[in-house]
Parts: sequence; C-alpha cells; structure tokens
Amino acid sequence: MDRETLTAQLRAFRDEALRELAAARGEDALEALDVHYLGRRGGVLSGLMRGIGALPAEDRPAVGAVVNEIRSEVEGALAAARAAARADALAVRLDHEGEDMTAPGRPIARGVPHPIVETVARIAEVFGQFGFVTYEGPEVESDITNFQMLNIPPDHPARDLWDTLYVDLDGGLLRTHTSPGQIRVMHAEQPPIRALLPGRCFRYEAVDASHASEFFQVEGLMVDEGTSMADLRGQLDEFGHAMFGRGRATRFRPGYYPFTEPSVAFDIGCVMCDGSGCPACSRTGWMTILGAGMVHPVVLQYGGIDPERYQGFAFGMGVERIAMLRHGIGDLRLFLENDLRFLEQFR
Amino acid sequence: MRVPLSWLRDYVDVQLEPDRLAECLTILGMEVQRVERWGSDWQGVVVGELLAVEKHPRADRLSLTRVRVDDGEPLEIVCGATNIAPGQRVPVALPGAVLPGGRSIERTEKLGFVSNGMLCSGDELHLTGDAEGILILPPETPLGARLTDLYGDWVLDVDVKPNRGDALCLLGVAREVSAATGAQVRLPDTVVDERGVPVADRLAVEIEDTHLCPRFVGRWVSGVRVGPSPDSVQARLLAAGLRPVSNVVDATNYVMLELGKPIHAFDAATVARDAGGRARIVVRPARTGERLETLDHAERELGPETLLIADRSGPLAIAGVMGGAASEVSEATTEVIIESAIFDPVSIRRTAFRYALRSEASLRFEKGQEARLARVGADRVSRLVSAWSGGTVAPGRVDSAPDEPQPGRVAFRPARIRRLLGTDLDAAEQRALLARVGVETEPAAAATPVPVAAQPRPLAVPAAAGEALIAVVPTWRRDLVIEADVAEEIARVAGYDTLPTKTPDTAMPPWRPDPLELRDALRSVLVGAGLTEVVTPALVAPGHAEFAWPVGAADGIAGEERTAGRPIRVTNPLSENRSVLRPGLVASLLDVLAWNERHGRNDVAIFELGKGYAAAPDGTAGEWWRLGFLLAGDVGAATWNQPARPYDTADARGLVELVARIAGLTPPDWTPHRDGSPLHPGRAALASARGAGGTPSLAGLVGELHPDVAAAWDLRASRVLAGELAIARLSGGGRAPTHARPLSRHPAVERDLAVVVAEAVPAGPVAATIRTAAGERLADLRLFDVYRGSPLGPGEKSLAWRLVFESPDGPLAEADIEAAMARVGAALLTGHGGRVRI
Ligand SMILES: [Zn+2]
Repeated sequence: MDRETLTAQLRAFRDEALRELAAARGEDALEALDVHYLGRRGGVLSGLMRGIGALPAEDRPAVGAVVNEIRSEVEGALAAARAAARADALAVRLDHEGEDMTAPGRPIARGVPHPIVETVARIAEVFGQFGFVTYEGPEVESDITNFQMLNIPPDHPARDLWDTLYVDLDGGLLRTHTSPGQIRVMHAEQPPIRALLPGRCFRYEAVDASHASEFFQVEGLMVDEGTSMADLRGQLDEFGHAMFGRGRATRFRPGYYPFTEPSVAFDIGCVMCDGSGCPACSRTGWMTILGAGMVHPVVLQYGGIDPERYQGFAFGMGVERIAMLRHGIGDLRLFLENDLRFLEQFR
Repeated sequence: MRVPLSWLRDYVDVQLEPDRLAECLTILGMEVQRVERWGSDWQGVVVGELLAVEKHPRADRLSLTRVRVDDGEPLEIVCGATNIAPGQRVPVALPGAVLPGGRSIERTEKLGFVSNGMLCSGDELHLTGDAEGILILPPETPLGARLTDLYGDWVLDVDVKPNRGDALCLLGVAREVSAATGAQVRLPDTVVDERGVPVADRLAVEIEDTHLCPRFVGRWVSGVRVGPSPDSVQARLLAAGLRPVSNVVDATNYVMLELGKPIHAFDAATVARDAGGRARIVVRPARTGERLETLDHAERELGPETLLIADRSGPLAIAGVMGGAASEVSEATTEVIIESAIFDPVSIRRTAFRYALRSEASLRFEKGQEARLARVGADRVSRLVSAWSGGTVAPGRVDSAPDEPQPGRVAFRPARIRRLLGTDLDAAEQRALLARVGVETEPAAAATPVPVAAQPRPLAVPAAAGEALIAVVPTWRRDLVIEADVAEEIARVAGYDTLPTKTPDTAMPPWRPDPLELRDALRSVLVGAGLTEVVTPALVAPGHAEFAWPVGAADGIAGEERTAGRPIRVTNPLSENRSVLRPGLVASLLDVLAWNERHGRNDVAIFELGKGYAAAPDGTAGEWWRLGFLLAGDVGAATWNQPARPYDTADARGLVELVARIAGLTPPDWTPHRDGSPLHPGRAALASARGAGGTPSLAGLVGELHPDVAAAWDLRASRVLAGELAIARLSGGGRAPTHARPLSRHPAVERDLAVVVAEAVPAGPVAATIRTAAGERLADLRLFDVYRGSPLGPGEKSLAWRLVFESPDGPLAEADIEAAMARVGAALLTGHGGRVRI
C-alpha cells in the first residue's frame, strides 16, 4: 500500500466517524462508536494504523501526522457529543423531577405564649429601657403587709376598694394588689430604686366579663431624692406611647389611693373611638389604664426610708386590662379559660 | 353619687354643658363616670288638659275622659284613677309612647270603649313615688309640651373617693364646681321659724360614751301632717336614686343628699318620757340579749359593739345605721324628734358590716363628719319638715357639744412642694390655688413644725424663717393633714395636666439579675417545641388540692422546696370550686384539657409556669414555682406530607431532656415509678438531673395518666401524658453561662454495639453501665434501635447503641477503643446479663 492510498483511507475513516458521531443518540451509542472507531484493539483506526508499518520509512512521519490530526479531531467530536448527550439526559431527568411547589409545606409545630405572660414581658421590656429591674413577692400576704403598711388601717373606708379573700393562716390573706412589694423592695434596696413587680393577685369578686377573682398586676416603684410627679407624668407618657402608639393621647388626672399622695389616674385616648366618644369609654373618649401617685410618707416610713429626704412615685396596672385594650379582647374570662381557639390567635 | 344638675344649680351657677362639666369635675378629681339624660325614657308623653271625666257605663272603677293635648280633636282615654277632674293638667302617654321600664302604650279597647293612650301616675313615669293617682301637674304647665322638656334633667354619676366624704353631697360637689369655674357657692337656707314650748322642755338627751357619739343635736317639730312630699321634691329624690317615703322622711333624705348629713326622725309619741314629762333619749352601747326590729322589719340581735339610740324601755334605733320599726314616723305621727348626731366612724362601719346594712347613711358616717354639720343639718331638716308637713319647730336645740372645732392648720413649704411636684409654682401661685378651694393661707413663724408624716412615726420638720406657710383648712376638709396633702390640693386645682412632663434623670439603680430569666428561656423553648402556654387559676376545688403529684426529690432543690404541710384554704371563698390554693399544676392542666375536649379540640399540648402553695407546720405560707406540662392526642394534624402521630411517653421524656438542657443540667436520670394512681404503673418515671458540681437541680414526675384518673376528669383522650418539674432557679435567678470546650482536632470514632438482654431490663441502667465502662472519652451515646424476634429467644430484646469516642488531646488509638468496647461488653454481661451480638 502506498502513502496516498492510506491517507485517503484515513480521510474516509474520519468522514465516516464524524458522520456517525453526529447521527448518534445517547451516551451508550457514543460509547459503542468510541470502541468501534478508536478502540485500542480492534478499533477501525488501530487497523488503519497497522498499514503505516508497510510504508517506506520516509513516508511514515507524514502519515503519522495525519493519523494524529484525525484522531484528535474524532476524539474532540466524541467529547463534544458526549457532553451534549449528558446535558440532554440531565435536562430530561430534571424535567421528570418537577414537584408541585404550590402544595402546602410540612407544618413545623409551634405553640403560643399566653397573652397575659407576654403582656407582662412587654411591660417589663418597656420599663426595662428606663432602668426598672424586676422583683417578685409572695402571693400570700398579711393584713399588715397588704393594707396597714400601705396606709390602710383596719376599718378604713378605703378598704371598700379591695374585697379580700382571707386564708386559714394567722392574719393571712391573698394579696389584693402587687403594692405590698413596694415595702419589700424598700427593705431590700437603698435609693436610687427603680423596681417593677409583676404577679398574680386575688379579690373577692364574682367573675364576669369584666371582673375576675384572680388577675395579674404590674407594680412600679421609683424612689430618689428628686423623683418628682413630673417624672411620673413623663414616665407614664412614655409607657402609654410604647404600648398604644406614639400618637396616642394621654391624660394625667387626680385619683385616690391611700398609699400615694398626690394620687393619679392615668388615661389614654379610647382605643375604640380614638377619643370621639363611644360606649366602650362611656362616651368620655378616655380609658383609664393605671393608677399611680407619689409614694405616701407613711409607706416610705414603713419601708425604712426617710420621707423628708427621699420621695418617689409608684404605679400599678392590671395586666388583663392592658392586654384587652392592646388585642381587642372583650371578655376577661377568656384569659383563664385557656380555650386553645382563643390562645392560638396570639402567634 | 347621683347628682341631678337642676338640683346642683340650687347651690352654684353652672354655665357649662353637662359633658363639659363632667370633664371639669373629672380633671379636678371628682370622676364623673356617666352623664345620664334623666327622663329620656318618657317617649311620647305630653301635657294634656282634662275636658271631661265620666263614669264608664260598664265598670265602676273606670272613667271615660276627654283630653286636649293640642288644637286638634280631643282624645278619648279610659282611666282607672279616681283623683282626676276636668280642668286638671296631666301627663298623657300617646299611642306609641314608651314609658320607663320599656312599657309601650298602644290604642286599646276597654269594655267597648277605645282608649287613645294613657294618663300617667308619677310612679309610672318614675317622677314621683305615687302609684295611686294620676300625677296632677301645676295648672300653668304648658299644654302639649313634652314631659322630657319640662321635667327632664341631666344626672352626673360622680365617683366620690373614700377620703372625700365632704363631697358626698350636692353642696360638696357645688364647692368643687366653684373651684373649677370660680362661681360662688350658695348655702341652703337654715333659718328656722321657732314657736311654742322650747325643745329643752320636751326632749332630754344623755350620752354614755362621747367617744362613740361626740355630738348629738336634737330638735322637735309639732303638729306635723304626714303625707307625700311636694312632687318636685319627690322628682329630685328619684333622680338622685332614692324612693320618696313621706314628707318627714323625705326631708331627712333630702338633707342627707344636700349637705351629706344623715339625720333620723323619730315619732316622738313612741319615746318614753322621764319624770319631767320630757322624751328622754339615751345614746349607749347595746346590752347583750337586747333585740330590735329595724325598719326593714328584721328582728336584730344586738350586742355591746352596737351603739344604740334608746329610751328607758329599750332600743329605738341602731345609731347611724338603721331606725327601729316601732319609732318610725308613720301617717299617725304628729310630733317628730329630729336626731342629727356625729358618731365614731369605725364603730358605724363595723356595725353596718355586722348587720350587712350598709346604707347611704352609714356610708357617710363611716367617712367621718365634721361636728358643725350636726347643728346645720338639724336646722335644715326642721325647716323642711315644717315647710312640707305644716308643723311648727320648737325653739332651740338639745345639743350635747355646742362648741364647734376651729379650722385645722397645716404648715407647708412651697419649695418642698415644688420638689415633690416637679413644678416651678411660686408661693403666691400656690396660695392663689389653695384659695380657690376655700383654703386660706398665712405666713408661718420660724420653727413652726411642718407635718411630713403622721404615722407610723409622726415626723414634723421645723420650718426655717420665711420658709413655710400655714394652710387654714375648712372644717369639712378632713383629708388635709400633712404637707403632701396640701401638695395634692395645689396640683389638682392647678390641673394635673399643667405639670411638666420629663423622663427621670436621677441616678440609675445597680444591675440586678432578672428573676424571670430562666422562666422566659423555658417559655420560648417550649413554645418552639409545639406547646402552648396556659395560665390557670391558683384557687381550686378541695378535690383538686388532694390530687397528689409527687415531684420526687424536689425537697433537695435549693429554693424550690416543696413545703411539707396542709393545703391553704380560703376562709371566705366565692365558691367551693375556688376555695383552696393548689399544691401543684397538673390537676389544673387536666381541667384545661377537659375544657378543650368539650369544645371539640382533642390534640392538646400545653404547659404552665406557676406556683404551688401549702401551709408549713409553723403556720407560714410556702409558695414554690413549678413547670407543668400535658400532652394529649396527636402531634399536629395529619397533612398530605406528614401523618399524624399520637403523643407517647417518649415525647414526655424528650421534653424533660430538653428542659434539662436549657437549664444547663445533666441529661436526666429516670427511675420507674410504679405507685399507680394518678399514673399508669408501667408508664411513669421520676426524673432527676444535676447542675454544675453535681448539685440536685431538677426533679419531677412524668408519665401517662392512669385510666381511672382520666375517667374521673371525663377525658376522651386515650392517652394523656403529663409531668410536673421542680427546677433550680425557676423562682428567680439567671442562667449560668455555658463553658465552651475546645474542639478536638482529631476525628471522632463511632462504634455500634448491640446487646441482647432480658425484656425486663430497662434501657436507662444499661446506658449508665455503658457510660461508666466506656470511660471519659465517650462523647455521645445513642440508642438507635430496639429489636425483638428471630434469632433472639422469647423474652429477649436487642438494644443497639451508637458510641462516639472523642479525644481532645491526641488521636484515638485503635487499641484504646477496642479496650473500651471490651470493658463495655464485660460490664454489660456482669451488670445486666447481656451478651453482645456480633
Ligand atoms: Zn371610645
């Protein structure tokens, strides 16, 4: 065989191989063509290369160059065909793997915190920003701590404000408010005092939509030499705005508590009618959210604090009332009933 | 207190609209809770004139009337009253009218005659107390006018605070209006036209204890004709909330509302006479065994704590609380004794509570009354009785203490008041404000004591020269005693809304740990784990309190001890169901489950952080914090991608493991608890876990509810898992920070081990054995499979564990791990009879 014939055969091989590769479908067909044309033993190209040995020595390099050129051309075409085939196969697979991405996700179980405890936490957070730290006191108190040390002597007409549940311990009763905590904090700390006292309270009160025999209060106490009623007013304004919105109107007016002097009732603009007057606010446009005042000298003295040198303010609020106004809840009983349909609204 | 505006205007001019007046009073501290349009329920009632009154031909008691209400055709109206005559002006309810109580008036037929409406009695209109006859209006009443326009009124409901007994009357409210608007107060007329035999010759009063009765003023009115009060008086009393009774009794009630002075009238004929022929009244404590029939016709047992108005033959009235039936003013009464006295407030309050007779009168007495009112009230009532019932007032008063106290004097320092209020009101401004409530001021001499506190240790600070003023307090203001009281008065007259607003700029307190920290951490983790937080009542039924849920070794947990002792009982419970303080939480959680099941909800996962309570043997109350939880039904509802799975005991244990981790404790150890009720004997365990240093820090009981207990609660759930835990620092205190360990630079080595043990061998002790035998390089141990069946023998199970070894300080040698596994195998064999499956 001469050089020209072999070269022509190689070129024919190349044309055929490229044609076959272009026509082949799938990676398996490409693998078969790889073996058929380029296989090291028995492949068409190997067969043709055996003819090189029969050529004259001076012709061999040129033909060898043609072989290399054709081999790399066919290998390149094969690799490209393989890549295309893999891409096609992946596209087909992904196409088959499609899911209904509009179906609901797998639910992640989560419970709900109770709105009372959450409201306490929110109140503590707001006052915490102003340096108030949290304390807790006992729920079983005595006539002395719950009343007398708060300037409510026995047989005082103001006792009508607190219908009391008594227990079978000597002088024992269930605290009617968180105010006894004021005395406890004053005994534990020296001024400056900024204390917050959340907790459960009890009253002898028939239960209905707006009365509960068990409820939660948050008490606040601040004592220092210069703590004034102007401070109280500013502090309560900040609280009203934090809980009910920056634009909420507030009103600071006289109230009555035996343990404060002067005493304060603190109102916010009605959350139902924004102050224009509606049944919820008895058409006054205002809703009372807490009672407050300057700590009575009697209370300071019982707390071991000199009422001439020091002065301070205290406030107390019903947590349920705050929660009801914030969340639009109309019935106090819902809080202790724990109907999950009610609780699960508070995500 | 109900304040009819038209009545209030007797004592002060009011130019303000009712709503504005209400706001002014509220801002001044007299909170107006409601403004009511009195008479707004007279709809369709107009003034008519009777043209003719004829007998009904078929009914003796009915009359046929013709009534003119306007220029049109007269109305024919059938009427059952007998006090009517042509020419009278009367209230006519036209067809379509609605009367108080929602009663609607229609055109009706009565025995053959059509009635085009109804003539109204005072009682039907709630305008007077008379239900017998038609209300006859004054002849000049304009024809056709709507009754609402003529007799309607505004009534303010004022919440008078307990320290302001002086304002529990129209005159007191008038004084507040005056403070708000500057209008002058007009005092009621107390001039009495006296005639006849002096009272001193008719009445004698003896007071045994002047502490209980500091003053008694008596007056005498002769020749009264008892009957109804004038209609206008009855209308006022009704608008103010009192029923009219008779002209004499109404006069006492009228003065009580007007001046705040409760006054009692006796039928003088029923009071025993002394040797001089005088009616003789004794004010004395009751003697044991004495009895009195009170005005409400109840027979009262009296005792030495009860103060009486009595005569020689026995009790006439319970002083300040209620009169006696026998000495009551009746239609037969002609001679009246007026009692206007001051009593000890505490004694009256106690007596009123003792007999459950808290009346308008006792409410005023118990707030304290100024002595002057006894005289003024007696004069005023005498004048009104005389005017309304035609009697004559005997000259003079019987008066046990005619000297009246001077106004109180309270020194105050304007600068100290500025510091308290945070204002810059100067002394002149403070004086001007006080003057508006009748408090005059004068300079105080140097060293005048300024009352800072009255109790428990009276504290008065001597004033520096020129520093203090003296407030001269009107006798009726019993609430102004110390400097802070004067400060409030200044602030309220100035208006609280004139005070500056600032946030506190004084020193901050030192840092303090938040007692809620651990509870808050547990709350958020448990909520994240799918449990909903509940808050349940602490007062429970006695049966609940006996529901025992021992939490195990809680007594060893510092600060969380269960106080041994009996339940604490409420001595005056609202109901038996809320009469005992609960010792623990689980019974309350069962209530929540039962409630939700009744409302169609079966999948319930809840927890509560709350207190348990008991009385310690020394009589003190113990209170401790607990975490309780309850699981029933399925873990979430079944969805297309996740089947429902019922809660089981492993969920309960998993929660305890989670809680221990959050609290920074060791994984809990479990001890089976086979006591039975309230738990399934085979599905209950005590948990305990320790904190840093090995201190006991968590203890609790967890398990599945005993079927008998579930039945007692009427529960539907087939399984209820519940637990209650005592955890250190639950009652307050922060969480210790985590101490991070350095990461090992060498890979961990995992080995699996299956051990075959008898069915009765629990996994917990097996795990403990593995931990001990494997040594300190065992970083994790996990039970990943439990297998029963071939090739194991009957009564056997295989527990498959994954052991993870780690070494912080060097690579793990294969030989060391092999040695550890060999130790584990040997220990399992000796400890549990287990054989390792190859
Ligand atoms: Zn409103």
